[in-house]
Amino acid sequence: MSRGFRWSALAVGAVFGFLLTVSGLGDYHTIHDGLLLRNPYIFLMMASAMAVAFVGLALLRRRGRTRFAGRLALPHVRAERRHVYGGALFGLGFGVGATCPGMTVAMTTTGGLYGLVVLVGLLGGLWLRGAAERRQSRPVSTESEIREPAR
Amino acid sequence: MLGWIGGQLPWWITGPGVGLCVVALYGLINARLGVSGAWLATLAPAEGWRPEPWRRTFLLALVGGAALAAVLGPPVALHGYGRLSEVLPPAALVPVLLLVGVALGYGARWAGGCTSGHGMSGCAAGSPDSVVTTATFFTVAVAVTLVLHALTGGRL
Repeated sequence: MSRGFRWSALAVGAVFGFLLTVSGLGDYHTIHDGLLLRNPYIFLMMASAMAVAFVGLALLRRRGRTRFAGRLALPHVRAERRHVYGGALFGLGFGVGATCPGMTVAMTTTGGLYGLVVLVGLLGGLWLRGAAERRQSRPVSTESEIREPAR
Repeated sequence: MLGWIGGQLPWWITGPGVGLCVVALYGLINARLGVSGAWLATLAPAEGWRPEPWRRTFLLALVGGAALAAVLGPPVALHGYGRLSEVLPPAALVPVLLLVGVALGYGARWAGGCTSGHGMSGCAAGSPDSVVTTATFFTVAVAVTLVLHALTGGRL
């Protein structure tokens, strides 16, 4: 891994983890009250993130290239049934637990140690899906198949 | 812990901030920011495939950033699991949370991403799979929450 890749992942990962925590997304009530449609915070945060990313990506598309990985190639994947099935199962976990893979990290660092139980389950769930794909003799999904980024 | 950050920062700081993170990761290394993908990379050795090397760095940095925010933020106290731990005794809460994690992990890998990978990064890029996944999981999450709220007489 080049230095550019390492420092990029380090900086963006740290800022992202910091923001997930100071936004209170690791707090059960922030998410639960949001999903009960009583507190608009998560939707306002999501919408403003979207708006900024939309503008940023428009500028990036015009530039056409990335700093360390050559030509820009944004994901564009056809919607299939697996997105509905997987999304529904994910939504079930999201609704009951009021958390997601990233928020659980913020939960754990701010003293919600039950987050560790969710993380164990998360790794188990990822593994179980891989096992199901291997049983169907398919290559396991890795979240990197949208394209092969240049290294 | 230090209390330098008083509490929840307003959405108009955190929202645009995470939006910039998404743009930055595309613009720097042409990568879709995704937390489930980062967790998935930790399973790669056991499953016999090679993850993109940046993913492990990203996960470590994510944990570090979340820990730094906890240190700078309000006093950290060990706590339960919101209303779920008021309704369920620990002996029932632990298996329920394990199943929550399994649903999140299995669902995320099935759909190819989670709240960050699909919900933010993929949707911002206008990828159809991400739009479908995100619409599905938000709808189901709101429905499940409202149904549980009704079934428990407002206790959840």
